[in-house]
Amino acid sequence: MAIINLKRKEVQAKIVYYGPGRGGKTTNLEYIYNKFRSRIQTEMVTIKTHGERTLFFDFLPIEIGRIKGYDIRIQLYTVPGQVKYESTRKLVLRGVDGIVFVADSLAVRRKENVLSLKSLADNLASYKKSILEIPLVFQYNKRDLLDEGIPLLPVEWLEKDLNSKLEVPSFEASALKGPNVVQTMKKIIIMTIDSLRKDLT
Amino acid sequence: MARQRDEDNFRSQVEDRLDHLFQEDSPGTTEQHVGLGEHPLKGLKAVMLSIEWEITDSTMDSLLNEIKNVEYVYSEDKIVLTFLQLIGAVGRYVKTNKARAHPDATRVINSVYEALEKVALTGGLSRAEKEKMLLEEVAKFKKLKEEVMLRKMEKKEPLISDVTAPPTPPPTPSPTPAPEEKEHLLAERPAIEEAQAKTEAQVRLAPMSPHEAFAYALEEVKEVIRAEFKALRAEIKLWRESL
Repeated sequence: MAIINLKRKEVQAKIVYYGPGRGGKTTNLEYIYNKFRSRIQTEMVTIKTHGERTLFFDFLPIEIGRIKGYDIRIQLYTVPGQVKYESTRKLVLRGVDGIVFVADSLAVRRKENVLSLKSLADNLASYKKSILEIPLVFQYNKRDLLDEGIPLLPVEWLEKDLNSKLEVPSFEASALKGPNVVQTMKKIIIMTIDSLRKDLT
Repeated sequence: MARQRDEDNFRSQVEDRLDHLFQEDSPGTTEQHVGLGEHPLKGLKAVMLSIEWEITDSTMDSLLNEIKNVEYVYSEDKIVLTFLQLIGAVGRYVKTNKARAHPDATRVINSVYEALEKVALTGGLSRAEKEKMLLEEVAKFKKLKEEVMLRKMEKKEPLISDVTAPPTPPPTPSPTPAPEEKEHLLAERPAIEEAQAKTEAQVRLAPMSPHEAFAYALEEVKEVIRAEFKALRAEIKLWRESL
């Protein structure tokens, strides 16, 4: 849940990048951090295993600055994607205000995407939140691999599998190379702040 | 009406601020992307992506088969062949050890592959540049080997006294191979190590009763968990200090 301090005029929103393991959640944050480090002026915190997999989470705070008298701060988190870390994923989702679902476009990962989206819906439900209501953006990652001749899921399939009922914005992206990484983040920040604005204005 | 205008104004200010903060000099990436198309590395790349997700006998066999295919295509290119031998050597090690393999092993495979891809796809690289990239990867491979050996020795020490085997002298460092010897050694060493590892395991386990063997396995599992927690504590400490 966003922290809104009307007295101090501060708003802090929590956005979580969710999705199957090895889908590119951490890579999204790393791209943003590496590319805009000098402007966002914060540090990215990451807790990994020795094998470079996210064990707990990654955390990247972003200071948007003062807008209409409010200091807006966004906290970007990732969850560990590996199946065995379900309890950690649930913990990271506590108090979430907006979600980016990073789907893996590799053809072999179709099932994992669907399972991960189901786990997201279940975990949100445990906090009495509905996946149908929370600000949500899909990112179909690894689209750059199409040029490599690697079999990818057509975007229509991804939309049908994941977004047919939700009908939320979606982006084809490459977290590794950059296209649509920033657009995805901007979209979810705007949607999240939109959902909070009734408390601000 | 006024409220709606106020909300729109707020939203547009947020958008402007985000545009300002995250304005990209060039959208996406400045790096020129070279597709693999029908390149001989295409199959190997597909296997590399699949082992990123899952390491099984089948994926590792595919990796080793793909290496053979690419070796055939590049049979005249010693630099590419050495890259492939490095990937093959670490691949065989990972296949044998799977979850017990050193955590850096897959990272080394990925790193060597990335360098190989650059060498094979980037036009205009001089031989010296290619050799430099190869040497960097050879250094990573050697470091991994040293760490694997160290881990083996750390685990072995208490067990040697358990089974009252005579103490073995510390391994003498092998001389640095001459450039022309390097390829041969890289190709042969993993096989030798595999055989050595098998013999060592047999020596360790042979005199043990099933009960002792179970206790030994349990101790190994505990050691892995201890190492993970130690690393985790250090990370949490760093994280707390950074807050």
